[in-house]
Amino acid sequence: MITIKRFTVQPVHLWIALLLLVLAVGAVAYGIVLVKGLSVTNLSDLVPWGLWITIDLSAIALSAGAFTLCAVVYLLGLKQYEPVARTATFVGLIGYSMALLTLLLDIGRPDRFWHAIVYWNTHSLLWEVSMCLTLYLCVLLLETAPLIGRTEWMQTRFPWISNKMMSIHHMAPFLALLGLGLSMLHQSSLGATYGVLKARPIWYKPGLSVLFMFSAMIGGPALTILITKVSGRLSPRAKVDDSLLEKITLFIGWALVGYFYFRFWDVFSVTYTYEPGRSEALSMMTSGPLAFNFLVGEMLLGAIIPAILLLVPRFRKSWIAQVVALTLVVGGVVAYRWDVNMSGLLVILTYLPQEITTIYTTYFPSTIEILSGLGVVAYGALAITLGVRYLNLIDHRGIEKEVAESPVIIAGTD
Amino acid sequence: MEEKTIQRRDFLKLLAFGSVVAGGLRLTHLTSASETGGSSPYRWVMVIDQDKCTGCGHCTLACRAHNDVTPEISWNRVLNAGKVGDQQVYLPRPCMHCEEAPCVDACMVGASYHRADGIVMMDYDKCIGCRYCEVACPYGARAFNWESFTGPNPAVPEWGQPEVPRRPRGVVEKCSFCYQRIDRGLKLGLKPGVDEEATPACVVACPMDARKFGDLNDPESEVSILIKDNSYFQLREDLGTSPRVYYLPPREEVTT
Repeated sequence: MITIKRFTVQPVHLWIALLLLVLAVGAVAYGIVLVKGLSVTNLSDLVPWGLWITIDLSAIALSAGAFTLCAVVYLLGLKQYEPVARTATFVGLIGYSMALLTLLLDIGRPDRFWHAIVYWNTHSLLWEVSMCLTLYLCVLLLETAPLIGRTEWMQTRFPWISNKMMSIHHMAPFLALLGLGLSMLHQSSLGATYGVLKARPIWYKPGLSVLFMFSAMIGGPALTILITKVSGRLSPRAKVDDSLLEKITLFIGWALVGYFYFRFWDVFSVTYTYEPGRSEALSMMTSGPLAFNFLVGEMLLGAIIPAILLLVPRFRKSWIAQVVALTLVVGGVVAYRWDVNMSGLLVILTYLPQEITTIYTTYFPSTIEILSGLGVVAYGALAITLGVRYLNLIDHRGIEKEVAESPVIIAGTD
Repeated sequence: MEEKTIQRRDFLKLLAFGSVVAGGLRLTHLTSASETGGSSPYRWVMVIDQDKCTGCGHCTLACRAHNDVTPEISWNRVLNAGKVGDQQVYLPRPCMHCEEAPCVDACMVGASYHRADGIVMMDYDKCIGCRYCEVACPYGARAFNWESFTGPNPAVPEWGQPEVPRRPRGVVEKCSFCYQRIDRGLKLGLKPGVDEEATPACVVACPMDARKFGDLNDPESEVSILIKDNSYFQLREDLGTSPRVYYLPPREEVTT
C-alpha cells in the first residue's frame, strides 16, 4: 500500500525558497558578468577592487573559525569542543568556496584562474595567498570528509567510500596543524597584500597583517557560534549544548576588547604628522564618506556593543543578546574589510613633482555587482542550512566516537 | 589498525610536501639594484624635456596607433602640470619602467616582468586580470581592458600602423617603451634613440623634440649626455622605485 505523506509548509521551506530565489537572480547576474565582462560593474582603473573583494576577504575571515577551533581541540587538547570544531570546519569549507566563487567573478580572465597555481611569482603576496587557499581548501575537504561519509545515505549507498571518508577522522590532529599553518599564513598575507604597497600610504604599515589575522580569529568563531545558536532555536535537527558555547563566546568577548585595543593604536598612530594621502584617508574615515562605516559599523556596533553584550553576565544569559552580539561581530569584520579596501582606493595621490596633492574618487557597486554578490552569499547560507538539516552538522551530544568506529555493513554478508 | 598506520604515513608525506612548499616561500624580498634576470648590454631610458613640451598630445596618438590601443586607454598621458612663470607646463607620463617596479612584485602569475634591458613587460597570455598591479602602481600607468576593443582604431592610419596584437578583454595593459621597435631595430643593425624605426613611437612623433630615448650604458648617447649635463628629476623618487623616465624641468632663463 502506498501512503502519501501530506507536505506541510514549514518556515524553513520558505527560508530555503527565499535563498533559492536570491541564488537564481544572483546566478543570472553572475552569468551576465561572465558574458559581458567587468564593464557591467562600477569598478574603474582608479577603484579596481570593490564590493566583490570585500565579500571575498570577509568570507575568508569568517571561515577562520575552522582553524581556530580545530587548533583549540587538537593543539590545546580541549576535546570537548570537537563538535563545535566540526561545525566550524563545514562553515569554513563553504566560506572558502564562496571566496573562490567571488574571486572567479572578480578576475578579468576567469578562464585563466588556474594560472594562479601554475605560474609562480614567489615575491607576490597574492601568489602566497592563492597557494595557501588552494592547499587549505584541500585540508578543509579532508576535514569535512568524515562529516559527509557518516551520513546514512553514504553508508548505505557507498559503504566502502563512506568507510574511507570516515577513517580520515584519524588524521584530524595533523590536518588541524597543517590548517593552522596555512590559515595563519594567508589570513595575514591578505592584510599584507594591502600593507606592502608603498604607493598607498594609509595601507603601508605592518599592522594590517596582524589585524586581518586578529579580526579573523574573532569573526570566524563568532559566525560559527551564531549559526549554531540560531539553528539550535529554529531547527529540531540541531542538538545544541549551550554550556559548551559559553566559554567560546566569553573568548570572543575578550578577544574583541583586545582587537579594539590594537585597532585603536593602529588608527591613533596615523594621526601624527601629515603625510599626503594617509591623513586624507584617515579623515575620510573619521568625518568623510567612510565615517559612519568606521565609527558606527566598525567601532561602536562592531566592537564596543558586542563586547559589552558578550561580557556582562546579565546579557550573557540572554539568547537574543548573544545572537545580536555575534551578528554585530560578524558585521564589524565585514565593515573593517570594506574600510581597509576603500580608504586606500578612494584617495588618489598625484605624482606631479613638488606638489603631491590628493584627489578623491567615489565608488558604489552596480546592481549587477550587488546581485551577483548576494547570490554568492545566498549560496553560502543555503549550503549551511542544508548542512544543518541533512549532515547532522550541529550535534553536541558526543555520539561522534561510536559512529566513526562503527563497523561498516558490507552488502552480501549477514 | 594497519590501515590506520598507512594513512598516517601517507599523511606525513602530505605534511612533508606542505613543509617543502612552506620552505619554498620566498616572499622575503631582499631588493638589489641588479634585480633583472639575464644580462643585456643596454639600459633603456627616456628623457622628457618639460621645457619643450607644449602638450599637443601627438605622443598619445602615435602611441595609440603603433600599439593599437583603444581610445578608452592612454598608455601615454599628457597631464597639465601647472605654470612656471608665464609658461604652461605639461607632464607627459609613459610607464616609468621602474627598476624596483611595484607591479612586478605584485603580479602573482609573473605576467608583469623585467626584461634584461630593464623594460617592464606584460605577458598578456599570462595575465588573469586581478588588477593588483593597478593598485600597486604609484603612477597610474596601468589600464584594465574593461571591454574588448573591436572595430577600427581611430588613430590608424593617420598616426601610424599597429605593430603589436590587440589585447583581449580582461587583461591589464601598459606602455612597453615600444619594445617591438627596439627589438626589430637592433636586429636590423639600427640604433634605438637615433634611428627612427628603432625608437619608441612617442619619441618619433614629438614635434617639439621634447622626448629622447637611448641607452644609459652608452656614455656617448644623447640621453646619457642630457642626464649628465642637466638637472633632472624622476617622479616620486621618495618611493624608491628608480624610474627609467627622467624629466628635465622647465628652465625659466630659457623662456624669459
